[in-house]
Amino acid sequence: MNKLCADIGYRSIFHDGEELCGDHVDVIEQEDGSTVVVLADGLGSGVKASILSTLTSKIISTMIAAGLSLEDCVQTIAATLPVCSERHVAYSTFTIMRIVDSNEAELIQYDNPAVILLRDGEEYDYPKTELSIEGKKIFQSRIRLCENDVFVLMSDGCPHAGIGTEYNFGWQREDIAEFMKTFYPVGYTAKTLSTILIDECNRLYGGKPGDDATACVVRIRRREPMNLLFGPPSNRDDCDKMMSLFFSKEGKHIICGGTTSTIAAKYLGKPLKPKLEFVDKDVPPIAEIEGVDLVTEGVITINKVLSYAKDYLSDNESYSQWGVKRDGASLICRLLFEEATDINFFVGRAINPAHQNPDLPINFNIKMQLVTELSDCLKKMGKRIKVSYF
Amino acid sequence: MKVTVCIGSSCHLKGSRQVVEALQGLISDNNLKDSVELGGTFCMGNCQQGVCVTVDGELYSVSPETVDEFFEENILSRAK
Repeated sequence: MNKLCADIGYRSIFHDGEELCGDHVDVIEQEDGSTVVVLADGLGSGVKASILSTLTSKIISTMIAAGLSLEDCVQTIAATLPVCSERHVAYSTFTIMRIVDSNEAELIQYDNPAVILLRDGEEYDYPKTELSIEGKKIFQSRIRLCENDVFVLMSDGCPHAGIGTEYNFGWQREDIAEFMKTFYPVGYTAKTLSTILIDECNRLYGGKPGDDATACVVRIRRREPMNLLFGPPSNRDDCDKMMSLFFSKEGKHIICGGTTSTIAAKYLGKPLKPKLEFVDKDVPPIAEIEGVDLVTEGVITINKVLSYAKDYLSDNESYSQWGVKRDGASLICRLLFEEATDINFFVGRAINPAHQNPDLPINFNIKMQLVTELSDCLKKMGKRIKVSYF
Repeated sequence: MKVTVCIGSSCHLKGSRQVVEALQGLISDNNLKDSVELGGTFCMGNCQQGVCVTVDGELYSVSPETVDEFFEENILSRAK
């Protein structure tokens, strides 16, 4: 397994008054392990722009994924896109990033702001080759990837932010690079970095964007395995088996659930020390077991994690909460969303009779549902998930 | 004296946070910090009777409404 992987996240804001975004991002994972990211910006805004950009990104990602050449892709787009009745052109700018084996990236850029690459905290000026395909000027680059490289792909709505209000000529690409540099050392996820950039654009637009603006961040990082134990096994005799499989895994270990952590503490022969600090009124306190990275309560905490995960995938408004707070759910979020790339779930299917009380919102079915929903969310964040039931 | 409050899922939903906070307040108001050790534990297996609280191993069922009464009867009287 390659030690590096790509963390990809994006966020858009729409032209003021529009309900659709004229920018479109597609991320395709191919069977050979390579990943194709396409950011397309359709001419204008609203429905027309949305159709143009969606078609463009879908055509490119599908054709590149099928191994067709760039020339073919561009020709197909030129021949397929519907022509705008007002402007008599079919037009969508695009940026393609193809990541092969997490050690090389191919960039193909057509008329979007040039991709920013931050390496070791500084902007890195990568070489570009100019090509002419169907009369379009296209820049191509091949870049060897390094750990912690951060690529920022954007539509022109980003550098246009603040034109005429905050800045005379908008927020220049160099300014954006400087802005993003300040967040480079923090270790934010790609999704959070793109949110920070887009929030700033929205602020410069005064909350009324004059154009669709999209940022897509690709962060090259080391693979980080993580293991999460949730619930005791349905058969008591399987406790030791479940524990030995869990603790033999590489990476950090998280245990969720009171009974579960009691079993783990017994297995390890270490005391379980619950804390009495209520950092968040909705989340029960955490505990400590020597040799375990994090011990929390079960269903209520995981439920909170799931609600953060759903928000992360949509508006990402609560990162300012789980990103800093010290309650069990926030701690799990930071480990799963930010640190982990490969997550193994060890889920026990024991039914806690005390939880089968109709007055309590924590019965067995809810617990299983939580696992399914949370692993779906994590997959959408680009994580590799394995769930084992006991 | 050791007082342990269950902070498991079921007891949490029944108000263990309020019970812990009330007890923390009562213990410091009565200057019992040196004689009473307040701790937490995960599920004690008596969820039906939550919030479960033990005083030197003896199990009591407490709720946020009854915590003052519980403190007077079972902690204050014994600690003095």
